[in-house]
Amino acid sequence: MKISRRDFIPLAGAGLMAGYAGWQGLRSRRNAPLGPSPVAVIKATSYSEDLAQRILRGVRECGLDVRGLNVLLKPNLVEFDPNTSVNTDVSVVAAAYEVFKSLGAAEVLIGEGPGHRRDTYSLVEMARYREISKFDDLFVDLNRDDVTAVEKFADRAEMYFPNTALRADLVVSLAKMKTHHWAGATLSMKNFFGVVPGSVYGWPKNELHHIGIPESIVELNRIFRRSFGIVDGIVGMEGNGPIQGTPKPAGVLVMGSDLPAVDATCCRIMGIDPAKIEYLRMASDGSLGNVEESRIEQRGEKINEVRTNFALIDSFRGLRLT
Amino acid sequence: MRRSILVPDSYLGVRLDILRRSQNPDGGWSYYTGKQSWLEPTFYGALVLHGDPAADRAWSLIKSWQQADGSWPPTAGAAISGWGTALCLTLAHIRGEIDGTFLKGLAYLLKTAGTESEIWRRALAKFGLVDPGRNLKLKGWPWKQGTSSWVEPTAHTLIALKKAYTLLPAPELTERIHSGQALLLDVRCKDGGWNYGSAWTLGEDQRSYPETTALALLGLQGRPEAASSLDMARHWLQETSSSLARAWITIALRLHGIAVPNTNSPLKGSGSPDLMVVALEALGAPDGNYRLLKTEAAG
Repeated sequence: MKISRRDFIPLAGAGLMAGYAGWQGLRSRRNAPLGPSPVAVIKATSYSEDLAQRILRGVRECGLDVRGLNVLLKPNLVEFDPNTSVNTDVSVVAAAYEVFKSLGAAEVLIGEGPGHRRDTYSLVEMARYREISKFDDLFVDLNRDDVTAVEKFADRAEMYFPNTALRADLVVSLAKMKTHHWAGATLSMKNFFGVVPGSVYGWPKNELHHIGIPESIVELNRIFRRSFGIVDGIVGMEGNGPIQGTPKPAGVLVMGSDLPAVDATCCRIMGIDPAKIEYLRMASDGSLGNVEESRIEQRGEKINEVRTNFALIDSFRGLRLT
Repeated sequence: MRRSILVPDSYLGVRLDILRRSQNPDGGWSYYTGKQSWLEPTFYGALVLHGDPAADRAWSLIKSWQQADGSWPPTAGAAISGWGTALCLTLAHIRGEIDGTFLKGLAYLLKTAGTESEIWRRALAKFGLVDPGRNLKLKGWPWKQGTSSWVEPTAHTLIALKKAYTLLPAPELTERIHSGQALLLDVRCKDGGWNYGSAWTLGEDQRSYPETTALALLGLQGRPEAASSLDMARHWLQETSSSLARAWITIALRLHGIAVPNTNSPLKGSGSPDLMVVALEALGAPDGNYRLLKTEAAG
């Protein structure tokens, strides 16, 4: 059965989606002016700090209400390497779970579809995610979940997505602050690559590369429009990210409901010009979110107080924010 | 072959019991209990239980999924011509089901090749102006039609075509088998194992992974060049904690004639709720059906 993302929600019984701005709705709003977007930058210099309190503060600063919603937390577990900082730290995932439960979400699940063909449960074990209480009951392997086709994805007639992600009222992109050797930076928007099922498209998710990485990032964020971004920049990755780079402490958590605004803010913190990141430019042109600094309401820390330039590979030297 | 004499608490017996209990009513297996049937775990379940009525039910389901172009989708209703076609051909050969279904699947695999890079990049590579990191003339197989060749689908297709070659030693098969094997050898990493697609990206050597190393070795059965990678596979078997990786490496090493230490505990290695992992562990057990994936050199 093929459905649009818009059709899926009532089918799934999620009547709370009255305000849902799906693909068709968003298309009609293309180029419509957006209001300013709040983005919270919260200092956190170590994973041993009280991260739940910091995430709670950021969520409140952004005015997010999750009462009664089915929430899917989507961390970045593209791969695991103990010698660097590839994935969203377990402390951030655990703290986010605690916060969304405490704010009255009806259900909070954790889901990820790693980018490489690995034993998912081995990856979550190595990343210590299984230390989260009752993790196995909360976790959904998005690479191997049941799937449903959604109509239209860039130039493709349809694209299959995991039902758990389609059914969620809110997908929280728990991303890692990293440079990316193809996209420039991988943050809350690029993190949605993990909802594309490897069991359908293979590992890595090469279909997205053929469609185009920027195009795919924007399309995924149009489909999963009800989202919130929390970027783990406590220790990010610089250089040849997203897997082979080196750890880079930035000491921040960045969050907001407008993911292009969240990612543009992260870029500025990393010393990257967001106007030179193609997917952010496309997101801004398509009214998916705000990228211009003047249209982002910065809350918490000021960017110039937390900015720390991330090392860039040679081919991306031109991205440096001046 | 029937396995009813196995005691249920043996390494293999425990896994056979899990698989029998988790087979979906339609005859297939899901990756996780209670979900829809998928081609990949159903293939491995059918191999493990080969000769059992459960495997016949699995084959009936898989056969019903074949698409008009001869390919198979990854699951029912997903209208995608996918890499799983190779698995279905291998299973059909093992079962001796050489009929129109098999021939249509074979024709699909022979006409399918990875689409390597963009036209302009291929043109630049032809004139030596860019280094694509691999020989673009070599043809492998993609996960999905219209995308690039990758190690895993190429390895699975080599197994299927080598099996088909024993029945139909046609020049087209020889050519594709040789090209696919050459591709795998071309993208072997410096450490002796395999990454997902290339050994080199953006000027940096890629590291190998245990899963892809094992699968490449399965695709290279019968090729003497594979021997130099067996040490890397042994290394991965000792190093990795991944149940999936250990199962695939065990199968690959056994098929290359390398002794693999038997597990001491009946449940050792178990723990993943992924039924495909359970099936692969059963397949790679000393008394498992891993030999069904044995192939010889072709042509």
